[in-house]
Amino acid sequence: MKLTLKIWRQDNAKTKGKLVSYDLSDLSSDMSFLEMLDVLNEQLAVKGERVVEFDHDCREGICGQCSLVINGQAHGPEGHYTTCQTHLRSFKDGETLYVEPFRANAFPVIRDLKVDRTSMDRIIQSGGYISSFTGMAPEANSTPIHHDIAESAFDSAACIGCGACVATCKNSSAALFVSAKVGHLAKLPQGQVERMERVIAMVTTHDDEGFGSCTHTGACAMVCPQEVQLLDIARMNFEYNRAVCLVKD
Amino acid sequence: MAIKKGLFKTSVGRKNLMAVTGLFIVFFLIIHLIGNLILIIPDSFFPIEFWNNVANQHDMYNAYSHFLVHFWPITIVAWVLYAAIALHIIDALLITLNNWKAKGEKYAVIDNSTSTWISRNMGLIGTIIGIFIVMHMVQFWLQYKVLKIEHDLYNLVLETFKIWWMVVIYEIGIIALGFHIVHGIESAHRSLGIYPKKIMHIIKYIALYFGLVMALLYAIIPIILYFK
Ligand code: HEM
Ligand code: SF4
Ligand code: FES
Repeated sequence: MKLTLKIWRQDNAKTKGKLVSYDLSDLSSDMSFLEMLDVLNEQLAVKGERVVEFDHDCREGICGQCSLVINGQAHGPEGHYTTCQTHLRSFKDGETLYVEPFRANAFPVIRDLKVDRTSMDRIIQSGGYISSFTGMAPEANSTPIHHDIAESAFDSAACIGCGACVATCKNSSAALFVSAKVGHLAKLPQGQVERMERVIAMVTTHDDEGFGSCTHTGACAMVCPQEVQLLDIARMNFEYNRAVCLVKD
Repeated sequence: MAIKKGLFKTSVGRKNLMAVTGLFIVFFLIIHLIGNLILIIPDSFFPIEFWNNVANQHDMYNAYSHFLVHFWPITIVAWVLYAAIALHIIDALLITLNNWKAKGEKYAVIDNSTSTWISRNMGLIGTIIGIFIVMHMVQFWLQYKVLKIEHDLYNLVLETFKIWWMVVIYEIGIIALGFHIVHGIESAHRSLGIYPKKIMHIIKYIALYFGLVMALLYAIIPIILYFK
């Protein structure tokens, strides 16, 4: 199949970027979107041009490293998929695709489609952990946790930190990401000790990193590859309000 | 105390203030609607014997508005309401400006299929309501309660809605209000941390139908008065 790509090219955070058009033919509809970019880069390399830089790692939907906004949709048109798991069969032969980096002030462009998402790492560093030693698998199995709670905590823990929620949000809020991390630990007994300090610290760091305030448009939950729920944000708000009221200074 | 301030600061805290003030204004709007429905009671209902023998709609409406101005507990609630509106607007501005600042470069292609138009345009809808509120207060509240130029509020209201474009302006304000309520009530509960799935499901429906009914009931008043 044939595709026309309008790809965002930008040398670094300080220079201005622009969309550049590329025509590709002889593509297989079974290629993943990233494999298609590999094909483009091979052609650019042969011509001696600078290749298009983009983030990727596992290419199996588990690491959260791939990004891209394709025709205005974070991770492409499938919804709840990562870009590496999006295949060309999701597009029409001859279609024009606009490929842009995840955009938010907290995600400065490094080059082309690559953005700096360490702001999310710093949110995790501020509270997304527990300080107690919980042992190995046998000890974990000896901690009584209701099956439903374990499942629910696991659903939140599934967040891969990709940042699609931020990229798609009109407020550039990372509320869904923070709520997944806060929810995951707040639901489990191991997370109770730092439950209150955690949510306050993570929300504060979220703001300091320059993410916006959630207005519950719900767009994030529609693109999240791990199907983290909008209700997780409400739960985070509950955790936050509970903490602010109960925590001792 | 430092952390307690977080209740109304931070990206989450500011939404608490938005929610509390918004829900208070909604509460006022219910009372305000009930009072104004007097305007559409059919003439055949009068005189109402069991209630001080109200002779007609004119007397009933003026008695009601007189009561509002002269009953002190209502004066207190009114001041809380003005404060709530002011805080709601200031907070909306702070949140919106901060969210604009958080945005990166504009996308060349924007796909809006993942959210509703209303949820994305609360600021715009709110601004329409804000302009409407100023006009509405200058027309009635200022004339009757502050400057005390007009003593017959019923006549003032009736004359206002004899002008067709006034009716149009009110309908626009009311539609905006209905939109704002539908997303606002759902969003407010989420902001305050209501997270059980079943409850949120019910709240979504309540928000939708409540907004619809409020808007419809408010909307018929100017139309009925125009044709009266
Ligand atoms: C005076 C002009 C107004 C402006 C500029 C305004 C603006 C806003 C904005 C920007 C939001 C945040 C968007 C969101 O959370 O989704 C909001 C939320 C809200 N507004 Fe307004 N609004 C106004 C009037 C009103 C009125 C008259 C009501 C009463 C019906 C109201 C009720 C609410 C509620 C309940 C929320 C949700 C709060 C939350 O999400 O926590 N607003 N408003
Ligand atoms: S919440 Fe979903 S969209 Fe957001 S970072 Fe986690 S996995 Fe990605
Ligand atoms: S490259 Fe790992 S999730 Fe896409």
